[in-house]
Amino acid sequence: MTATTQHAPPAALPATAPASAHRTRKAARRRRLGACGALMAPFFALLVTVFLIPVGTAVYLSFHSDDHPGLGFGNARTVFVGVRSYTAVLTDPTFLSGLGTVALYCLIYIPLMVLGSLALALLLDSGVVRLRASAQLGLFLPHAVPGIIAALIWLYLYTPGISPVIELFAKADITIDFLGLHTVLPSIVNIALWSNLGYNMVVFYAALQAVPREVIEAAVVDGAGPVRTALQVKTPLVRASIVTVAMFTLVWGLQLFTEPMLLSQSSPMINSRFSPSMYIYDAAFTRNNYSLAAAASVVLLLFTIALSYGVTRWTSRLDRAEEASR
Amino acid sequence: MPGRQSRRSVLAAMAALPLAGAVSACGKGASTASGTGGTTRITFWSALRGSQEVVDEFNRTHDRIQVDFQQIPSGNQGGYAKLSNAARAGNAPDVATIEYPQVPGFAIDGVARDITDMVGDTLKAKLLPQALGLTTFQGRTYSVPLDVEPMVMHYRTDLFDQYGLQVPRTWDEFAELAHTVRRKAPKRRLVLFPTDGAMQFAAYSWQAGAQWFDTSEGAWNVSLADAPTRRVAAYWQKLVDDDVVFMNGVESRQSDAQIANGLVLTRLSGAWDAGAQMRAQPGLKGKWRIAPLPQWDEGRPYVGTHGGSTFAVTKDSSHPEAAMEFIEWQVSHPDALRARLSSGASSQYPAVPGLVPVDRKAFDASYYGGQDIYTLFDEEAHKIRDGWVWGPRMTATGKVMQDGFARVSGGQGTLIGSVRAAQDGTMPDLKALGLSTTQRSS
Repeated sequence: MTATTQHAPPAALPATAPASAHRTRKAARRRRLGACGALMAPFFALLVTVFLIPVGTAVYLSFHSDDHPGLGFGNARTVFVGVRSYTAVLTDPTFLSGLGTVALYCLIYIPLMVLGSLALALLLDSGVVRLRASAQLGLFLPHAVPGIIAALIWLYLYTPGISPVIELFAKADITIDFLGLHTVLPSIVNIALWSNLGYNMVVFYAALQAVPREVIEAAVVDGAGPVRTALQVKTPLVRASIVTVAMFTLVWGLQLFTEPMLLSQSSPMINSRFSPSMYIYDAAFTRNNYSLAAAASVVLLLFTIALSYGVTRWTSRLDRAEEASR
Repeated sequence: MPGRQSRRSVLAAMAALPLAGAVSACGKGASTASGTGGTTRITFWSALRGSQEVVDEFNRTHDRIQVDFQQIPSGNQGGYAKLSNAARAGNAPDVATIEYPQVPGFAIDGVARDITDMVGDTLKAKLLPQALGLTTFQGRTYSVPLDVEPMVMHYRTDLFDQYGLQVPRTWDEFAELAHTVRRKAPKRRLVLFPTDGAMQFAAYSWQAGAQWFDTSEGAWNVSLADAPTRRVAAYWQKLVDDDVVFMNGVESRQSDAQIANGLVLTRLSGAWDAGAQMRAQPGLKGKWRIAPLPQWDEGRPYVGTHGGSTFAVTKDSSHPEAAMEFIEWQVSHPDALRARLSSGASSQYPAVPGLVPVDRKAFDASYYGGQDIYTLFDEEAHKIRDGWVWGPRMTATGKVMQDGFARVSGGQGTLIGSVRAAQDGTMPDLKALGLSTTQRSS
């Protein structure tokens, strides 16, 4: 913004300016564009290599497949098959149930995550907690543990026979099965919460630091208690962060893979097509059905884009409605 | 691309066999023909125990062909993924080991070569026809069976004596017995219904006359929930509902403990399991015996199979004749079997029944109180119902079914529901592969 305003006046000069000045201006613009290009190039290079090319390949693969006429024992050729793989994916009950599973997972996980990390951030911001720095570090630390290690730790805590937690409960005569039919999803939510709560808390905490102190002081002077200040003054002011966190959590949640993949070794309740990402993995690497896997990936991508778009539209409409009501 | 060989270069290499020395200098791929003395080198992958011993024996007794062996993980532990990926990359071994249920899948994927014209009449005559039938589709053969494993009933003779139980001969007697065991010994159960046992369930259905996959009309007709399967599912559902059988994974510590502590009185599994049991539970020596699997109709006895492996020549192999010679020796020569058995106790039933005397001689029957188990296996193997066809994506079909079984053990759904779910989860796969399919579901 500032750059444009600074350079705007010379550009507005009348065309009768000397030719030399014109050249300098042109050179300056070229330099500016050059610098701009140089700075943006790494981003575009990465965008192309790690996003556009893979997506393009997936789209291509999803429309092509080996042609297996009859029983399929003859020689196969790769041909264009139209939407055959898409029809297969969308009529596959195991894929649809995977979508249902992540939808349920997101319904449990996102509210818990957003509310939990926001509450922690408000608590830290209110100054009630002593040793704020160490509390923050302690909460953030699990995020530094890679997802696969986290899943391994929890796998150990969840597996009957080796888990000290289950043993402890057993001593109190409580049988608990973390990997049972109805408990396995909450168990996965728990792992994700443990890993990401601290990170999102830091995001909220940073946003809260930016809330002008005079606003809060004014609220206090007006007689708002600490709870009221937190809920009715601070929270509305960090709305943008809440939306961002919810969005990122949603996108991550839809790609659920590591935790169930690892837990599936210990629980028959997690099958090889538990989530869409696991379905894709299974389709490609155990069923050798690459075009099916590609079609499922594209469907998942579109589903994710549609949901995030929906969330953005919904929140911006809420914003507008709120402004209108003021 | 050094180290890789495209299909075309393999073909070129075949055409230029006399110049093999020169060609092999261009790239080291699936196999290399070394120029020295006309020795052909082929590669062989297997997860089977005793394969190294077999290969050593082959290399000792053969000059013209030499085999490089690589031990790989068993199929579902990554062995099949390794084979598929290698075939995709064009560096599959010359000879691969594939279990029966996966043969159609690897044949469709173009990993296993059509070897119909290479399986000689002498070998064909030696093989149990039902075994060869499982690797042959529309008259084309894709692999050669090593062993074929009729399902039998292993039982605890000491506990049967202790409770005064009779060995059941029919499934009705078996169900009755399950209730008796529950009554007489509330902590014990007659048998385990394995939640990870789609292959066991397939064997039960096969015995009852089911035809999950049928290729006779030029398309894959899928009917997992046909009448015989519904009968089998209803039978086991009743036993599960009455709480007279255990229901958990068989490949689990829980199941090991049930066997070690004598909580389970019978095991229904392939003939091979007799040897596996000896290695896993040496302490139970003398307590187990083996009987035929219970029958639906004693007048017309049938069994299905559970387990067994086959050898395929891969499409990428540049020495299919040499590979075939090695396979034929491996499945039919007594020296090969002796070498395999030297690696430890095994109770496999050979797909070449002529080798049974070799197996019987090598097998230490003292674990089974001196019972002549091979005579029993021989009788049972000839009862294998002919005409069963495994599906094009059997691992995946089985996994979906097992997911359902696991839910049943958690109190949700039914066995027949799991079977139907497996069919519903299989059809999209087959359609996406472009296979002609029809389905009958009821």
